[in-house]
Amino acid sequence: MFFYYLRLSALSYKRNPILSSLMVLAVAIGIGAYMVVFTLNYIIGGDPIPHKSDTLYHAQLDIRTLGQNRDVPRQLTYMDASSLFDAQRADRQTMTSKFSGILEPSNPELRPFSINGRGTTSDFFTMFEVPFIYGNPWGSQEDANQEQVAILSKDMNEQLFGGLNSVGETIQVEGNSFQIIGVIDKWNPVPKFYDVNNGPLDNGEEVYIPWSLILSLELPRAGNTNCFKAFEGEGLQAFLNSECVWIQYWVELTSLDAKADYLSFINDYTAQQKQIGRFESELNNKLFDVNEWLIEQEVQPDETRILVALAAMLLAVCLLNTIGLLLSKFLGKAGEIGVRQALGAHKGSLFLQHVIEAGFIGLLGGILGLGFAALGLRGIRYLLNEDQTLTEWIRLDPTVIGITVALAIVSTIIAGLYPIWRACNINPAIHLKTQ
Amino acid sequence: MLKMNEVSKIFRTELVETRALDKFSLTVDEGEFVTITGPSGCGKTTFLNIAGLLETFSTGQYLLDGVDVSQLKDFARAKLRNEKIGFIFQSFNLMPDLNLFDNIDVPLRYRGVKTAERKDRIERALDSVGLLARKKHVPSQLSGGQQQRVAIARALVGNPLFLLADEPTGNLDSNTALGVMELLNEINESGTTIIMVTHDHDLATRSQRNIQILDGRIHKENHNKTTAAVAA
Repeated sequence: MFFYYLRLSALSYKRNPILSSLMVLAVAIGIGAYMVVFTLNYIIGGDPIPHKSDTLYHAQLDIRTLGQNRDVPRQLTYMDASSLFDAQRADRQTMTSKFSGILEPSNPELRPFSINGRGTTSDFFTMFEVPFIYGNPWGSQEDANQEQVAILSKDMNEQLFGGLNSVGETIQVEGNSFQIIGVIDKWNPVPKFYDVNNGPLDNGEEVYIPWSLILSLELPRAGNTNCFKAFEGEGLQAFLNSECVWIQYWVELTSLDAKADYLSFINDYTAQQKQIGRFESELNNKLFDVNEWLIEQEVQPDETRILVALAAMLLAVCLLNTIGLLLSKFLGKAGEIGVRQALGAHKGSLFLQHVIEAGFIGLLGGILGLGFAALGLRGIRYLLNEDQTLTEWIRLDPTVIGITVALAIVSTIIAGLYPIWRACNINPAIHLKTQ
Repeated sequence: MLKMNEVSKIFRTELVETRALDKFSLTVDEGEFVTITGPSGCGKTTFLNIAGLLETFSTGQYLLDGVDVSQLKDFARAKLRNEKIGFIFQSFNLMPDLNLFDNIDVPLRYRGVKTAERKDRIERALDSVGLLARKKHVPSQLSGGQQQRVAIARALVGNPLFLLADEPTGNLDSNTALGVMELLNEINESGTTIIMVTHDHDLATRSQRNIQILDGRIHKENHNKTTAAVAA
């Protein structure tokens, strides 16, 4: 009977196209507006690495001096990051930070251009499950030997080598030569959880090199640097010895026991450092898993939740209109409902028929709403691009498309329950005589 | 087959209480052709609606094919309507969006009849009213008489125990009405019980029995000659 009722729904639409189209439009506007906001919220508030977000931890060490009324630092100093890293106490660990530079393409037809790069230790690629299309990540040996190797993003490889396998080729960054050992496939976790300090919604970096090369080659560091004490002396070494935070430090811990052990380890480290006059505050070290870290850093602004509520209210208003229109439509079919009852339809079958009809309206509204949502998101991308923000992630993905259509169908059916109930409880005798 | 014992139907509003049927008793046997006549508001249609399980009654007993229907829930009433009763209405009540085939298909759909059997039954029903060639037409493409024939085919397609006809010729001209009446007589002669409400006394004489209702009660009952004799 499902397909029979679906056919009746289509016929019913054709019988009263204006009223039916108004309902579809009302649903589409509500769903479209809601899904624009929902999509933004869904992407920003989503788990960027769902299958292992509970095993990846961001280490936070409280280096604030006594009485310092500032937020706990998001990053680590060079001294702390390198000490923790050298201890190799986690299952995996990585220290990572952003750099910038000028890349000089070997192709003479291309002009030099600036790039966003990331210096990182080798575990980065395994911990964050970075996919490769060519080559492989470097290993701890290359880290230790400060080998000048590089991994390109897919887009950068496309730009420099037309998407061909560039492993073995070299690139020049800031006058330094790097041999390409790998090319990353499309990889753009949103939010960019591993570095929320430098544009959590921005695209990933274009070139990856061993972290220590940032120092040895004195590449320009990029991103946030916050100093909690004025540093003494001048030059790179003075900076490295300072209480300035600029390194993101992540560890992979596969059990809660491992997490407790690691926290104990960094607390012990802090206690040692206290003895030489550092870490003046109360013990306040933390390990945040990916989702805790995103919440802690308020990557999802409160405004998005307010927007979701407003969009839900608009959807509710549209659905209230739909209730009125459905009531008008279904009560207008009282004659047909009476005939069907006379011919043997019980209230349950009539109810099902009209639930499917409401769902059909919802489906059409959902499809049109998807169009509105796509237009809305395109508009947002356009507006944000005006601010030079990278917004490749603002799009309808299959999950959101599924949610949109399902929400449209379910909400229209819910909106239709009262009209359907009214229609199924008409007195058929009256309508059979007067039709 | 149909037995009503002192059935009453009372419509109540805040100010008025109306007895549409007042201790109404009637028995209709299998194969009969009974007409119900009476002035407007006498309770003819109320009787028909109760007989067709479209309305409930206030007091009394109604046995349909031996089943006491007073305690039946909606599902069971719908099933009985679908399997035992065929309806014919004054205004035909065909569904305008559906073609003739699909209109006649409706009661079979609710009975859950399989596709091949439905097709066979629908085509036979349409053939029996001479409209098989027009099965893909929609009702608006037919004359009033043809629409009523389709409605009769729809009423018959489920092989009901009896037909309930509410002024089936009321919207037709006299010639067409006569044609429809002849068709009903043929159906009755083939064994289907018919109960027909009509204003037309001439048509009422063409049935085997005519019941006259007044103020919700049986006022008079006439046993006519057989339809075959009348036709002759």
